[in-house]
Amino acid sequence: MSTAVAMKPAQRLTGFMPLIALAALVAALTIADPDFLTQRSLIAVARTAAPLIVLAAGATLVVLCGGIDLSIAALASLSTVFLALWLPNLGGLATPAVIAVAAAIGAVQGVAHVLLRIPSFIVTLGGMAILSAVALVVSGAGTVRVVDDSPVHWLDLYLGGYVPMSAATALIVVAVIAVVLRVTPLRSWISATGYSESAARLAGTPVDLVKIGAFCVSGACAGLAAVMLVSRQFSGGPTMADNLLLPAVAAIVVGGTAITGGHGSVWRSLAGALVVTLLRVGLPIVGVPSAYEQILYGAIIVVAVALTLDRSKVSIVK
Amino acid sequence: MNALEVRGLVKHYPGVTALDGVDLAVRPNEVLGLAGENGAGKSTLLKALVGLVTPDAGTIHVRGEQVKLRSVVDAANHGIGMVFQEQSLVPNLTAAENIVLGSEGPAVRRGIYRWDVMRRLAQEQLDKIGSPIDPLARTDSLSFADRQMVEIAKVLRIEERSQHPPVVILDEPTSVLESKEIETLFAQIRRLREFATVIFVSHRLDEVLDVCDRVCVLRGGKSVGEVAAAGAVPRELHRMMIGSTGSDDHYHGSAATTVVEEQPRLSVRGLSGASFHDISFDVAPGEIVGIVGVHGSGREDVCRALFGAEPTTAGEIRMDGTRIDLPSTRAACAAGIGYVPAERKTEGMVGALSVAENMTLAKQQARCAGPFVAPKKQATLVDSWIRRLSIRTPGRDTPIQRLSGGNQQKVILARWLVAGDIRLLLLDHPTRGLDVGVRSEVYRLMRELAATGVATVLLGDSLEEAVGMADRILVMNDGRVATEVPCPTGAKPTPLDLVKEMV
Repeated sequence: MSTAVAMKPAQRLTGFMPLIALAALVAALTIADPDFLTQRSLIAVARTAAPLIVLAAGATLVVLCGGIDLSIAALASLSTVFLALWLPNLGGLATPAVIAVAAAIGAVQGVAHVLLRIPSFIVTLGGMAILSAVALVVSGAGTVRVVDDSPVHWLDLYLGGYVPMSAATALIVVAVIAVVLRVTPLRSWISATGYSESAARLAGTPVDLVKIGAFCVSGACAGLAAVMLVSRQFSGGPTMADNLLLPAVAAIVVGGTAITGGHGSVWRSLAGALVVTLLRVGLPIVGVPSAYEQILYGAIIVVAVALTLDRSKVSIVK
Repeated sequence: MNALEVRGLVKHYPGVTALDGVDLAVRPNEVLGLAGENGAGKSTLLKALVGLVTPDAGTIHVRGEQVKLRSVVDAANHGIGMVFQEQSLVPNLTAAENIVLGSEGPAVRRGIYRWDVMRRLAQEQLDKIGSPIDPLARTDSLSFADRQMVEIAKVLRIEERSQHPPVVILDEPTSVLESKEIETLFAQIRRLREFATVIFVSHRLDEVLDVCDRVCVLRGGKSVGEVAAAGAVPRELHRMMIGSTGSDDHYHGSAATTVVEEQPRLSVRGLSGASFHDISFDVAPGEIVGIVGVHGSGREDVCRALFGAEPTTAGEIRMDGTRIDLPSTRAACAAGIGYVPAERKTEGMVGALSVAENMTLAKQQARCAGPFVAPKKQATLVDSWIRRLSIRTPGRDTPIQRLSGGNQQKVILARWLVAGDIRLLLLDHPTRGLDVGVRSEVYRLMRELAATGVATVLLGDSLEEAVGMADRILVMNDGRVATEVPCPTGAKPTPLDLVKEMV
C-alpha cells in the first residue's frame, strides 16, 4: 500500500510532464525567436515530427509489453531502400508491400524473442545490425533515387492547404492504435503483460501473441515511417532513418511511458515526439550547433527514465 | 545474561500482522530451535534479527544491550549472522573469496588481492568448523553440503568483527541435504556450540528436537511456548504449532455438500513432472480435495501443472471424462479451470489495473460484445460481483493495489466466476495473509461454489484449514501421493494424524 500512496505525486508529475515540457519549449522558442510561431515554421515542425511520431507510436506498444525494440530505425532505413527499389515496378502497391514486409520482419523478431526466450533488447540489437547490413547490400551501399514519386506524393500534400498529410497520417496512426486499445481487451492484456507477466500468464492472457503482435505493429510503423521519409527526400538510403532511434526512444520515455512496461500510452509518445522535435528544431534557433543534438538525446533519455522509473517494481536494476 | 533477547517485537505488513509481540531469549552457547507453521512469523523474525526488516515496535537486545539493527552489516557488527535458505555464495569465485567477500580486511591492500592472506583468513574460518575444503576451490565445483560449510565459515567471520561469541542463524539448512550430509551438519552445529550460539530453523520437527537444546514455538506471530528438547516428541511440538482445532462453524462445515458418486470432474492418472511423480487422483463435482505436504513435497507444482503452468513428462488429465492437453494456461482457462496462486501480489493481481480489469482478465468474453469491450456490460457484471462478494472498493475503476489484501483476493476469486463456466478451481493458499473475517467469507464462497458443482483442489494455508474445508485429503511426500484420507464433516481426522504421513 505504501508504494501505491508514495507513487501518487510522482505519477501525477509524469502524467503532465510531456505537456508541461511541450508548453515550456514553445514558450522558450517563441521568446528566443519571435518568428517561431509562424505558419511556415510550425508546418516544418509538423513535417519533421511525422516519421518520428509513427516510429515512437509503434515502439511504444513493445515498451508497454515490457520489452524494447531497438531495430525500428534500421528497419525504417531498410524499408526506404525497399520502397525506392520497388516503386518503379509496383507503383502504388509498393507502399502497402513495404509496410507488410516491415510488419513481417517485426513479427519475426517477436517470435524469436518469445520462442527462443531471448531478451527483446538482444533480439532487436542483433536485428538492428542485420537489417542495417541487409540495407547496405540491397542498396549497393548508396542512395537509391526515386525518379517517379507520384505513388507517395500524397504524403507531401497539405490537408486544407495547411496541415501536412504526413502529420495528419501520423495523428491517424496514433488515434487508431489508441482507440483499438481502448475498445478491446488489448489494453488489459498489454498492461498486464508489461506490468506483471507471470500474473498475466496465470490469468490465461495470450501473453506470447500479445508480444508478437506488438513487435509486428512496431515493424509496420517503421515501414510507414520509411514511406514518409521517401516522400520527402525522393530517395531511399541504407542509413536514412538510423539517426531516428535515439529520438524515438527519447520520445517514448519523455512521454512518461514506463520503460519497465505496463504504464503509458501512445498519446504520451505523441507528446514526447513533439517535445523531441521542438528541441531538434529549436537548438539552431538558440544558437546551439546541431552536433550537440546527440548529447541532448542521451541526457534526455537518462533523466526522463530517472524521473519516471518505478523502483518499487524493480528490486535489482541492471 | 542472554546472548540475544527479543522483547515484544511487532511487524505489520499491509493487511497482515507478521509479528504480534514476539518474545524470545537465546542463552549463550545453546542451540535454540524455532518451530512454527508457514506464516507463523519465523522468517520475519529472522529477518528482523539480521537487520533486513525494521520492526514496528519492540526491542532487540544483544548481550543485555539494546540495539537497532539497520542492515546485515549492522547485525554482523553485533555478532549476528545468518546462513540463508537460498545460498548466497557467488558460484564463480573460490571458497576463500566468498568467505572474505564484503569484509576483505587485510586480504586486500591498495586494491590488490593478496591471495596468501586471503587463503589464511579463509583457512582460519574453515578450521573453526574443522572442514577439509580447499579454500582455493571454485565454489561451483563443491557439493551443496560443502557450499553450506563455506557459508557457515563465511558467517563465522563476524566473530573477528564483533570481538564476541557470534550468534549464527541457520534457516532451513537441511531442506536439500541427504541424510548423511545432515549428520555432518549436525556434528558441525554441536561443534559450533563450543564457541557460538545457534538458532536453528527447520520444518522437520524430529531434526529440531535432535539437534537443539530448547525449542521455541511461534504461532500467528506470537511465541506460544517452549519445550526442552530432551524427552520431547514431535507430536507435542506440533500440537503447539497448530493450536486448538478451530470450530467447525468457521469452515461452514454444515454447508458441506454430500458428494454423489458419479463421473469424476477431474481425473488425474500417473501425472509426472520435474518435482512430482506418478500422481493419480479424482475430484468429483462439488467436492473439495485438500492436498497437504511439507515444503518441497511437490504439491504446488502439481497444482500448477493442472493449470498448464508447469510442464509434465507423463500422465493424463481428464475433465468430465474427456482427455485434455494443457500446453498453456490459456488452454486450462478454456477448459473451465481456474487458478488462484499463492503469491497474490506478484502472480495473482496486476496491481496497476483496475478492479474491473483484474476481475475480467481471464474471461474477456464476459465483458465484451464481439471483439469490443462493452462498458455497460462490464459495469453491470463487475458491480454485481462487488456486491455479491462484498468487496470494499471506492469503485470498479480503482487500481486493485489500493485495496486491502482480503478485497484483492476476492477480486482474484471473482475473476474465475464472472463467466459462469468454471468447472475446476485450483486454490493455492487462498487465505494467505488474510484476517479471520475475510477467511470465513472465502470459506463460505468455496462452499457455495461446491454446492453448484464446482470441483475444488485446495492447498491449505495451514493443516487446520485443509482439514476444515476438505471432503478428502491427499497427503504428498517427496513428490508422491503418500496416502489419501477421507475427511467428511463430523469425522475429520486431526492434523496430527496427517503429520505422521507428511514427514
